[in-house]
Amino acid sequence: MATTQSTPVRAGASAVPYGHVIVSEKWRGTELAQLLQGKVNLMFEDGLGLVDFHLPQRACILYISETDLVSGNEFKRRLVRFRKASNLRGIVLAERTRLSDQYYSPVQNFVVLELGMTLLPVTNRSEAAQLIFHLIQERSREGGSNPFIGKKRCHLSEASILQTVQRIPAVGRVKALQLLHHFPSIQELSNASLRDLEAVVGRGFASNIHSFFTQT
Amino acid sequence: TGGPCILADSREISSGPEVITYLRTTHGVRVDICSLGGCDYIVSNRLSVERKSQSEFSNSANRSKLVERIKHLRSMFERVCLIVEKDRVKPGETSRLFQRTKYYDSTLSSLISAGVQVLFSSSQEETAALLKELVSLEQRKNTGITVPTQVSGHKQEVLNFYLSIPNVSYITALNLCHHVPSVSQITNSSVEEIVSKGNVSKQKAEEIYCYLHYVFDPKMLQPSDKRKQSVV
Repeated sequence: MATTQSTPVRAGASAVPYGHVIVSEKWRGTELAQLLQGKVNLMFEDGLGLVDFHLPQRACILYISETDLVSGNEFKRRLVRFRKASNLRGIVLAERTRLSDQYYSPVQNFVVLELGMTLLPVTNRSEAAQLIFHLIQERSREGGSNPFIGKKRCHLSEASILQTVQRIPAVGRVKALQLLHHFPSIQELSNASLRDLEAVVGRGFASNIHSFFTQT
Repeated sequence: TGGPCILADSREISSGPEVITYLRTTHGVRVDICSLGGCDYIVSNRLSVERKSQSEFSNSANRSKLVERIKHLRSMFERVCLIVEKDRVKPGETSRLFQRTKYYDSTLSSLISAGVQVLFSSSQEETAALLKELVSLEQRKNTGITVPTQVSGHKQEVLNFYLSIPNVSYITALNLCHHVPSVSQITNSSVEEIVSKGNVSKQKAEEIYCYLHYVFDPKMLQPSDKRKQSVV
């Protein structure tokens, strides 16, 4: 415990190779470690302090057991100390079982909303092993393969702009194209004088369009 | 004004009526129903919340739908939160045992890597409580919704105009609508002015600025646009 006090998070543990996980010595020989063995490369180390697992790409896992959840506030102090001591991405795994279920919701408010960390529920150690495996996999993939990050939708700007101009009341596709032919950007169109507009679309439309842009 | 406010998509009336009721009655949150087009709740100028039932979320057949939706939200909002809500058990039914799959774990892992905040809820009542917490947090950070959410007449037309700008959210369009007297003032604004008028990030303001200044070239129109514009 004394070492935990002095070094809450081990320095240097932020560079974990892909497909590897640094595991706190206290997990050696446990069911969870055995379940992970063979799927990923485990490296046991002493003195990880508050952290249970270090993952690639500066993420780490803090594990909250069913007993921790039920027995109260000790784990909260641990999380707060972690948050103050480290800028690693903290992922908290909590055992949400029938016994600890009632504690989950306030813990979620505390961990996610107050501390700004991630909290994921598991019902037992084997689910935890599965999830840890996927978290490591996700962080070991080549950049850009996260489906949710992937390239932004490439919008066809021309088509979008045509749509935007058609949102001006009484302007349809034909009028929009005529306008863009003479005033090729929305900014230019918005600054067109009444006289310039009249030359393109006639008096009635021109005053509509002009007032759309300038009306306050 | 000044109280917490959330925008809810009109589809939430049927899919999560209790969420809205609890927000209004228990938590005193103003919930305004709008057609948000592809987003369940807007909680602040920067945060949108997507609500998914656990069965919907964990079914891999919905993968591409989920991916599209989250990508869409990420392109519009600085922050995206996903609430995974337990399915309601109908009277006379026993709750189905939830089977955790590879798909479930890998989807969660990807979402977290992408910076999406994931929350778990056991009911519509709890979802409402979570939304209330989120809206309070955002208010404390001065990002809460402060503009009127109902518009009409000319303002409605202007709102629709702003909404057609790619990746501009409903709340950003509303902010622009209310903070700037005329459209031409926005089209002639600097990036910094768009930041303050739209309550958006610098990056988003730059996107908007570029769009307003983009020079249209009719030759670049795809043949498919000839009929109806569709995003590919």
